[in-house]
Amino acid sequence: MSVSPTVSRASGIRHLLLMAFRRPGLLAAVAFLLAVAIGTAWPQFLSAYDPIAADPLQAQLPPGAAHWFGTDQLGRDVFSRVVHGARYSILIGVSAVVIAAVVGSILGLFAGLARGVIDEAITRFLDVVSAFPDLLLALVLISFTGPGTVNLIFALGVASIPRFARVVRAQTFVIAESGYVEQAKTFGLTKAVLVLRHILPHAMAQVPILATIGLGTAIIGAAGLSFLGMGPQPPIPEWGAMLAEGRNYLRVAWWIGVWPGVAITLTVISVSVLGRHWQASFEGRRQG
Amino acid sequence: MVTRRGFIGGASVLAISAVIGVRSARAQDSLSPVSGGSLAWGVETEPSTLNPHLNGQAKAKLILRNVYESLLARTADGGYVPWLATDYTISDEGKTYTFTLRDGVAFSDGEKLDAAAVALNFRKLKEATYSGSISAGHVSHVVEALAPDPRTVVLKLDTIYSPFLDGAAGIEIISPKAFASQQLKSGGSEIAGTGPFILERYVKGQEIRFVKNPAYNWAPPNAGHQGPAYLDEITYRFLPESAVRTGALTSGQVDVIEGISGNDAALFKENPDFTYQSAINTGTPYTLYLNVTHGPTVDVKVRKAVLAAIDVARVIESVYRGERTRAWGVLTPADTDFYDKSIEGSYGFDAKLANRLLDEAGWTARDADGLRSKDGQRLSIEIVQSQATLRDQRDVLLQALQAQARQNAGIDLALNYVDAGTYADRQKSGQYGAIPNSTTTQENAVTIYFHYLPRDLGGSINYSRTEAPEVLAWLRGAASTLDHKERFDIYSNLQRFAILEQAYGLPLYVPEDQVAAAANVHGVRFRPFKHLPENAYNIWVER
Repeated sequence: MSVSPTVSRASGIRHLLLMAFRRPGLLAAVAFLLAVAIGTAWPQFLSAYDPIAADPLQAQLPPGAAHWFGTDQLGRDVFSRVVHGARYSILIGVSAVVIAAVVGSILGLFAGLARGVIDEAITRFLDVVSAFPDLLLALVLISFTGPGTVNLIFALGVASIPRFARVVRAQTFVIAESGYVEQAKTFGLTKAVLVLRHILPHAMAQVPILATIGLGTAIIGAAGLSFLGMGPQPPIPEWGAMLAEGRNYLRVAWWIGVWPGVAITLTVISVSVLGRHWQASFEGRRQG
Repeated sequence: MVTRRGFIGGASVLAISAVIGVRSARAQDSLSPVSGGSLAWGVETEPSTLNPHLNGQAKAKLILRNVYESLLARTADGGYVPWLATDYTISDEGKTYTFTLRDGVAFSDGEKLDAAAVALNFRKLKEATYSGSISAGHVSHVVEALAPDPRTVVLKLDTIYSPFLDGAAGIEIISPKAFASQQLKSGGSEIAGTGPFILERYVKGQEIRFVKNPAYNWAPPNAGHQGPAYLDEITYRFLPESAVRTGALTSGQVDVIEGISGNDAALFKENPDFTYQSAINTGTPYTLYLNVTHGPTVDVKVRKAVLAAIDVARVIESVYRGERTRAWGVLTPADTDFYDKSIEGSYGFDAKLANRLLDEAGWTARDADGLRSKDGQRLSIEIVQSQATLRDQRDVLLQALQAQARQNAGIDLALNYVDAGTYADRQKSGQYGAIPNSTTTQENAVTIYFHYLPRDLGGSINYSRTEAPEVLAWLRGAASTLDHKERFDIYSNLQRFAILEQAYGLPLYVPEDQVAAAANVHGVRFRPFKHLPENAYNIWVER
């Protein structure tokens, strides 16, 4: 996955064209995510039907000209539901990752700078949280708060805090002891300036990459919990919930469950491809 | 004939069903049952408790009837035949029921079945601390349960109560030792019964296994055979997903499944490797009961609007692909004693009427989602559905209702699937807009009492929470007469009042049981009259 320094230093459009030529997979991922982004921001642009308008007479129609992805068990247009579903699945994934990244970074930075008892306390707390698998922890949290979109975001976010906190804490350690920070100290900079200008930006450098990779996990987690009925409630077209609704129809109407499944799969793969590429180019730049 | 194979209509389907019918009939003629072997049966519902007194799930009866038996059995035409009791008499004044018990019956824990044991069961059921809301049901009318001699049980009632015989005859009798057991609430091997099988192993969430009771020799005369069961062992696997059950049967992992979705029925009906049977249940249809004491449904106009806003026939046809019957009344058509079919077609989908009623009721504003509102409050009715009775694609059905109510009349039906604890709390407090449910085990109109008596007078599942004085008067009148015609007319009045005048509930579909089995499994059948899948007593496997 390493990218040569020549390419990463190349500029603007030329860089993109070269990349598209050399990495068609990456291009496809970006194109798909662009479509998902449009679906998230402006679903009416892509779909013709109301995603929750049911018509019993049109139930379980196979994919065709009028309904590209067919209709579901209630006669709703599956394509429209998949398009409108992007909003929920992406919103939940992104919000959960933002919560985890912000809270995790603050905790990590704090632990890395404070050291001693505070570091011990935060680290042990993170150990406890990460002792539970992410999904299990999220399930436990939802069993207290009850199902729903907001609760699902909160549960998934909390469950992935340790991942961010650990990385930021480790980076903070390294950077706080690095030569340039030592140097800066000798210049007599105040602690606040030291942290904000010299430690924070470097300690945080990996967070966006981590977040992008984590987004894939969060989307799968959200879909998984929605599949179990913990997320947005019917008739909201969330991908995981749609998959759950379609599972009993696989034998007679595969399209009800397969399309949301395809949407989840492609989104997660695309996000991962993008995240890995970013990570590789970041590491490449550092090496180069 | 309990099967409804001709349902879809059309010559080809009839021809196929005729072929199946002939094939199975011939098989039963030429083959004699063989004993031994084991059988795996995929079931949809896991019992919430294994104590038959405390379990209210119709779908659990199929499992629990392997272990627990009752005083009398029913025949297909609604009559009573001896079982644990060989005879019964009702005194002339109609308040004393005397049962003569069969000799030589023992519980699987070694206790003898005698009059004291039976009387103890009735006395315990009256204790609210033991049986909760059940204690307010028909056993509440028992003032004395006596055992004058070891074979005679005398039950004295406080009043004439016509549904009592059905209720009393159907109570599962458990061993007197069980009442001292730690397992009393949860059920288990210490809660011994007299049935043809004995509980061997229960793994929560997975399976429950029974072994043959070799001493069993007291089957009712219409059970198919006498003596011990054919099978050595029967295992019920809990497979809550209908697609998983279908797959488990077609792949041979289990021999029998119950609960077949409308989509999958054709798979078994049209395949000679399998048999498919279905039977509509007695009791009440799956009905959306509207709470008259909480939320917008307090207003009768809103309730009537809900009934008019939903095109039930179309929804049922679409969700179940023609495999379920639309319901109309307070009882199902299988309840041949008291079902008054004049209700059929007397009301129905009328979007204009629904909208006019809601306008009259003041729900005239519309919010951004197109839903009606009044004084800034959305016209939202919270449907509280217990997860324990969420089966048979009811989640899909509820979503279809939700869509219909929204699209046709701007009513928001909010779906809330809750666990058993929350469900019990909501039921007790009345904090819900609507509860959809069905009952399938109480016949002879007993179920009407549970649904329409005030809660403190025995209406343990009075979901609409009506306390209308006319309903109470009718129910009292019907209970205190043994005249069938008079009772029929009273229940008929009640039906019209509850549905047409007050819209306490919207009957949706008639619950039914479906059983599909591999072709080499014989003796799978439905319980006479009650129409629930029968236990494994008469089942044998051809090898």
